[in-house]
Amino acid sequence: MDQLLQHLINALILGGTYALLGIGLTMIFGIMNVVNFTHGELYTFGAYMLFFVVMVLGLNFFVSLAVAVVLGIILGAAIEFTLLRPIRGANIDTTMLVMIGAWIVMQNSEQWIWSGIAKSVSTPFPSDPLVFGPISVSYYRVFVFAAAILLIVGAHMLIHRTKLGKAMRATFQDSDTAALMGININRIYTATFALGSGLAAAAGALLAPVFVVTPTMGNIAALKAFAIVILGGLGNFKGATIGGFILALVEEFGAGYISSGYRDAMGFLLIIAVLLFRPTGLFKQAERIG
Amino acid sequence: MLAIEGLSCRYNKITAVKGVSLEVKEGELVTLIGANGAGKTTTLRALSGLVRDLDGRIVFEGEDITGAPPRDIIARGIAHCPEGRRVFPYMTVEENLEMGAYLRQTGNGINSDMERVYEQFPVLKERRKQAAGTLSGGEQQMLAIGRALMSRPKLILFDEPSLGLAPNIVQKTFGIISEICRQGTTVLMVEQNAYGALGMCHRSYLLESGEVVLTGTGSDMLDNPHVREAYLGG
Repeated sequence: MDQLLQHLINALILGGTYALLGIGLTMIFGIMNVVNFTHGELYTFGAYMLFFVVMVLGLNFFVSLAVAVVLGIILGAAIEFTLLRPIRGANIDTTMLVMIGAWIVMQNSEQWIWSGIAKSVSTPFPSDPLVFGPISVSYYRVFVFAAAILLIVGAHMLIHRTKLGKAMRATFQDSDTAALMGININRIYTATFALGSGLAAAAGALLAPVFVVTPTMGNIAALKAFAIVILGGLGNFKGATIGGFILALVEEFGAGYISSGYRDAMGFLLIIAVLLFRPTGLFKQAERIG
Repeated sequence: MLAIEGLSCRYNKITAVKGVSLEVKEGELVTLIGANGAGKTTTLRALSGLVRDLDGRIVFEGEDITGAPPRDIIARGIAHCPEGRRVFPYMTVEENLEMGAYLRQTGNGINSDMERVYEQFPVLKERRKQAAGTLSGGEQQMLAIGRALMSRPKLILFDEPSLGLAPNIVQKTFGIISEICRQGTTVLMVEQNAYGALGMCHRSYLLESGEVVLTGTGSDMLDNPHVREAYLGG
């Protein structure tokens, strides 16, 4: 029972960052119809930027987190503006190839700039864990969870309550008609890619102190993000949020009760099952953003 | 108010519109009739800036708007109520109406205009928190018209407003469009339903294979032997 509770807490905390990754990707992949291979690199980028600002520049940890997310948003906007805008309307294979190219360039640049040696980031949180009876959890992980929830709620509000968010949803549901309303479609695509990228960078930055930062850390993160998007249904915000938590639960319990060596395999077993039995995702189409 | 001079457009590499010229005067209700594929919808899409591959000139209120992007066209006061209604299916009725007023400053009478749309179409008020995709075809048409009105247009382009609607709803829709014109908004309407369109308009243009072959007042066109034979069933 104690072990069960501990796994549950771990899953909840991991699930928050998975949800961030999934939401970011579901907006880009599910709605813009761009198979975004750079998503994992934005995650890595967020982690390196946190490392750089905290460990190299020596700024305050929380300020650095915000800086890392903002830089992620800027990098996302730059990718959309320079790589995707010129090939708007091209078929999905073309954009996929361009994104694979970008992924390779970004990953190798990270390796070149930061070397392959893993970096670690320290936090201002106490290293002693918070203990509730039999369960223990580090202060930092609680912070990660709270920050992830805050970002998820913020992104949800942005999409549903603001004029920009409504214009995004209109564009994804019917871009021609959205243009007739006076919406600048190109700007909406850039904003969406930037926002999705910012969420990936946030997940990477939040997890940087939990794990270590390496140039290839984004690969498995990107695969998991795709798993979450498939689980929740393409373009489904709620689906990606719940999907993130489901994936974390399955991984955590799989690792705890079956074998920790198969932790990362659990998510893919889950995708196979979803694709076989519910290929449109676990949730209703009507829940889609776009 | 609006003049199209020698408009030609290519659409998927086919020339869909070949040298169309037409004119709409302020306060008029002008229709563009013709069979499926005659180039009616492409003409409207070119007017709204959705078709970019075009020749000719489009002049609105004395200014050349040829090739302008859709957001400039609507900013100048031309709203487009597209074929098949095209409401945003996963957004609520209210959000759809808000989108119609997208370019307007927040506040600035948007709420009172929305109330006016609700007064005109009470069913939309009842369903204002409902996703637009769950409305019936007729209700979606009312929403699409309301959405177009939300931009406070000087000219509204209607594309096949009768398409896929039950006959009594078609009558109602045509009545609403006539009323919009009577209240001072100029209308250019594309319709396959020639009988209905000619009966309600001031003037009409008949398009065949991308060219204007006939023009005249609604009643003249109704009496024309070619129109009677080809479009009104003899």
